[in-house]
Amino acid sequence: MRPEEFTLVRDLLRTFATQHAVGSADEVEPRSRAAAQEELDGLGLAGLRGTALPAATVQECALLAEEHGRLPLTTSLLGTTLLAPELLRLLGADGHETRFTVALASDLRLPGPGAPDLRAWDCDGAGAALYADTEGNVTRARLGPPAPTADLLRSVRQASAVGAPLGRLGPQDRQRWQAYALVVVASELVGAAGSFVEQSVAYARDRRQYGRRIGSFQAVQHLLADATVLVAAGTSATRYAAWCVDQEPPDRALAAARAAKAEVNTSAVEAVYAGMQVFGGIAQTWEHLAHLYLRKVLVGATVLATTADLLPALAVPEVTR
Amino acid sequence: MTEGPLDFGDPADLERLRRDFRAWLAGHPLPARRPDEPVPAFLHRWHRILHSGGWVGLDVPREYGGRGLTPLHQVAVSDELGARGAPGVPRIGYLAHALLEFGDEEQRRRLLPRMLSGDDVWCQGFSEPGAGSDLAGMSTRAERRQDGGYLVNGQKLWTSYAQYSDLCLLLARTGRTASAHTSISAFAVPLDRPGVTVRPLRAASGDAEFCELFLDDVRVEESERVGAEGDGWPLAMTTVSYERNALDTGHLSKYGLLVERLRRTAYDRRGNLPDGLLTRIGQCVVDYQVLVAHARRRTAQRLAGQAAGPDSSVDKLLMTRAEQRLYETALSVFPEELHAEGGEVFGDYLYSRAASVYGGTSQIQRNIIAKRLLGLPADDRA
Repeated sequence: MRPEEFTLVRDLLRTFATQHAVGSADEVEPRSRAAAQEELDGLGLAGLRGTALPAATVQECALLAEEHGRLPLTTSLLGTTLLAPELLRLLGADGHETRFTVALASDLRLPGPGAPDLRAWDCDGAGAALYADTEGNVTRARLGPPAPTADLLRSVRQASAVGAPLGRLGPQDRQRWQAYALVVVASELVGAAGSFVEQSVAYARDRRQYGRRIGSFQAVQHLLADATVLVAAGTSATRYAAWCVDQEPPDRALAAARAAKAEVNTSAVEAVYAGMQVFGGIAQTWEHLAHLYLRKVLVGATVLATTADLLPALAVPEVTR
Repeated sequence: MTEGPLDFGDPADLERLRRDFRAWLAGHPLPARRPDEPVPAFLHRWHRILHSGGWVGLDVPREYGGRGLTPLHQVAVSDELGARGAPGVPRIGYLAHALLEFGDEEQRRRLLPRMLSGDDVWCQGFSEPGAGSDLAGMSTRAERRQDGGYLVNGQKLWTSYAQYSDLCLLLARTGRTASAHTSISAFAVPLDRPGVTVRPLRAASGDAEFCELFLDDVRVEESERVGAEGDGWPLAMTTVSYERNALDTGHLSKYGLLVERLRRTAYDRRGNLPDGLLTRIGQCVVDYQVLVAHARRRTAQRLAGQAAGPDSSVDKLLMTRAEQRLYETALSVFPEELHAEGGEVFGDYLYSRAASVYGGTSQIQRNIIAKRLLGLPADDRA
């Protein structure tokens, strides 16, 4: 996109986010969820890469995912707007009437071999899911009943593969797809962690105890400085990995994406811990937004690939999942 | 707030520069160190060879002896050297930047070409026994003389390789105010000047890298002052912010080599590594990748016109984290280093422990981030 086009799209998403962000966990309810999803779908972002020459780069999609993560939104930007359309694009199978999300393993990691128990992830607004197996075959999956998840902002449902594969990804496209998925998911987590740290910094500037603003205590300052470094690490890693998916051969892009997800799995959670510590008791309540952020990054750190999956794979390049 | 998409890639002419440099390196291999040759003397010999090919100061304007290219070009040369296990380009980039930004035209023309060629070897006289991270607390003074110029008295510490240097970029107090921001000035002082005494100090690794520098009634001329009186503080801040970037200091390619060595070892010894070590190696790979990504993001920002500032403290903490975890892991992968004479990994490990101290301790970096980047308040009790 041209810079001014991208700024326009991001501003649209930002305005949408401020209007539809929930104020607390109590505001997460079916009717407002559906309304928010409908409005997000109306922005037409699912078509961003759906043309023969994709209009948006992966880096731009990653920046949009980052933006979406900054506020507590119930909408499915990742599953239905970015991930499933990219999978269809790589298959060369666009033009489906159904709105898809992606199907993951029951623990939300990338599906393993065999006929795994599936979950449709981030499925608000989706009518079906796409299941990519370890061979690269992509099959349609029917949505079942809702499945419990600690992430209150994200819908997960049981899913089962049906019918013959819609198509098959070659080895390089499988790497591209995995790299794209890892980058987009990691970017949303970085956005969440970065925004929550900013909110806790703002709180530390105002909140007074012992007759002074708590942000003037060096112990609090160092906690927030460390959180800032963690957010910077995740931001650099994900944006660079996104650029690699755009520009580098797929195996190198996948390595960069894995490193970014591994960094974010740890640093996003640590950064949210630091922010919660600064908020103190108030962040331990149901009403406060802190637990929505915590739940998002905590579950997010297990989505697609955990740290335990990634670190050994990165230590020895020949080992791949 | 959030920034737009960045170009993390290399400019088109960079690949050509890399090819040219590789071709040049093929004809100018790294010389062998002579048995009795001290490391700094050997590095200085290498510096001159590199300069003879035009590979030093690529980002310095042509009129001052450089090649008028970008920092990315200099980084590419460091990168190519690192990939071959050769010592990097001499670490003078941050000193050159100080002269470029604060020196006058005469000084830039006189000092920079000789700095780049290695005709003059420079060291940095900032820290003192009573002023390490708290640089503002320095007590070395430069008093105005009746006959013009200054008389300098004081003591400097951690002046790396001063015993092999010709000139020192020295900070001293010129003003009477308590504020460091207006009362410190910078000078380019020849070390053979009467009154200057250099005493090497042995580091924990056993190497004599650091020195003490004693200044007793040293006469320094007006023309040797770099910048105006009182410019010492901003000059120091610029210098250290360049010094804190892993790219500027050329550490990145060195880490990359060790990370690859760890990965190869992990592969060779697969199934035979102690519990948890594979994960730690994976963490080093992640740390390194993050550092590469971060350095490239900073470079892209800098090329887009953003100057180095307080966010260099973030860079320094990230670099420290990566370096210390990397060498700790390397010692676990190669434990024999602990039971050998003069192991290279062990020497680098000891040096990595200094990463959280030199150039401002990690605690000082956190203070800078909190105050200058996050805008957290000072103690405001009534």
